[in-house]
Amino acid sequence: MRKLIKKIFQFIRVIKIGDLLTIFIFISLTFYLASILWNFPQGEYLKIQMGKKELGSFSLNQNITKIIEGPIGKSEVIISSGKVRISKSPCTKKYCIHQGWIKKLNQTIVCIPNQISISIIGNRKDYDSLNY
Amino acid sequence: MHCSKLILILIFFLTGCFQNETVQKKDYIFGTIVEVTIYGETEDTAAHAIELVFNEFNRLHRYLHPWKKSIVQDINKSIKNQEIYTTQDQEIFSIINHNIELELKTHGYFNPAIGKLIQAWGFHAEQFSTDRPNSNLINNLQRNLPHMSEINIHGGYISSKNKNIQLDLGGYAKGYALDQAKKILSENNINNALINIGGNILALGLHGDRNWVVGIQNPRKPNSIASIILKPGWSIGTSGDYQKYFIVDNQRYSHLIDPNTGYPANNSQSATILLPPAESSGTLSDVYSKPLFIAPEKLKHSLAKELGIDFYMIVMADGKISISSSMLNLIKWHEKIDKKNISVH
Repeated sequence: MRKLIKKIFQFIRVIKIGDLLTIFIFISLTFYLASILWNFPQGEYLKIQMGKKELGSFSLNQNITKIIEGPIGKSEVIISSGKVRISKSPCTKKYCIHQGWIKKLNQTIVCIPNQISISIIGNRKDYDSLNY
Repeated sequence: MHCSKLILILIFFLTGCFQNETVQKKDYIFGTIVEVTIYGETEDTAAHAIELVFNEFNRLHRYLHPWKKSIVQDINKSIKNQEIYTTQDQEIFSIINHNIELELKTHGYFNPAIGKLIQAWGFHAEQFSTDRPNSNLINNLQRNLPHMSEINIHGGYISSKNKNIQLDLGGYAKGYALDQAKKILSENNINNALINIGGNILALGLHGDRNWVVGIQNPRKPNSIASIILKPGWSIGTSGDYQKYFIVDNQRYSHLIDPNTGYPANNSQSATILLPPAESSGTLSDVYSKPLFIAPEKLKHSLAKELGIDFYMIVMADGKISISSSMLNLIKWHEKIDKKNISVH
């Protein structure tokens, strides 16, 4: 045991600033690549679309409120650690709000009057398009 | 030197990970969401072809619009005023003739002449009202139910003696647009694509080395009930009571009006049909789901047989599933379906 500690100290004495930098860069690179390639463990994030415009993809692992400007007014989408809902909508029926929270892959809420669709998508897809 | 080689190899492998096999674009046309997905073409080629398809959809939307300025509205006006409509437009003749034929084939369950009834129910608006129409008005319209066969088409003239005819091609236009899209994509040498117009889908070719797969919406939950493969040229259409509807006093009123009663059909939640490639099969995938949705439960299966629909699934009002054996063979459930809630025909 003592020998081992001694050896480690010897090793630390030998390594130079360049070695440290190399080790640091490689560890950072490993973590960085892992974070971009192994993100979304279930391959899930939220895609928001308004009319023909894709407004972007958002991680589900956050708590944010998004305001989306549609043709009839402002809709509000809430992302709350893993689940999503439409919380405010200018449409008269509010069916999109009544759908409540969605959290599973491929679940979609569509607000036809305000031309907004939000869907949970990921790298694993059960199908290419939805028949409804 | 070694370092640059390493970087090149890294870039080569990493770009492989991010290469997009499909190009997908969405738009909002026909009062619904339209989506075209193209496989195996460059972004530019695919985007150009999709633009041509969306242009055609926009043209058809304006051309066949049931309640805004369109050729359909002009024809309706002249029938209402008992005038003869004159045009050299061959496309509208073939569309109307096809609709006459389809009403006869479906024993009137598909009747695009009942625009007045659909209007009375408030479905001729971007936002539906929450009022039930006056029952006297509905009964009166139903008693004087017009039929497509009462339209006369001769040479360049369209007319009818029945003033009650009001064309509404809302149950035909999206399917017709699918066939038009198929034509445009083929003309532009796009062989692998998936076209989705408000849920009506037509597949062209393949997604790489596999068939296209589509999800089927659960009529009462925000997820898919099942998925099914669409072989090259096949199309799928669903009529449901969950997209265009309103609820008054806990009663659901959908846009699918039963011509025999004048009231929205309420024996089903959805009717899904799958059609093999054929002339106008996109159109038929839109049109033929309606009679299966509307017809009484007892008649649905004989009607499907008569119309040559081998692949169908109907979710009844009580949530039970009625499915053809051919459809059952192709379908992959996403939910656990209790065996006693499913009947196979």
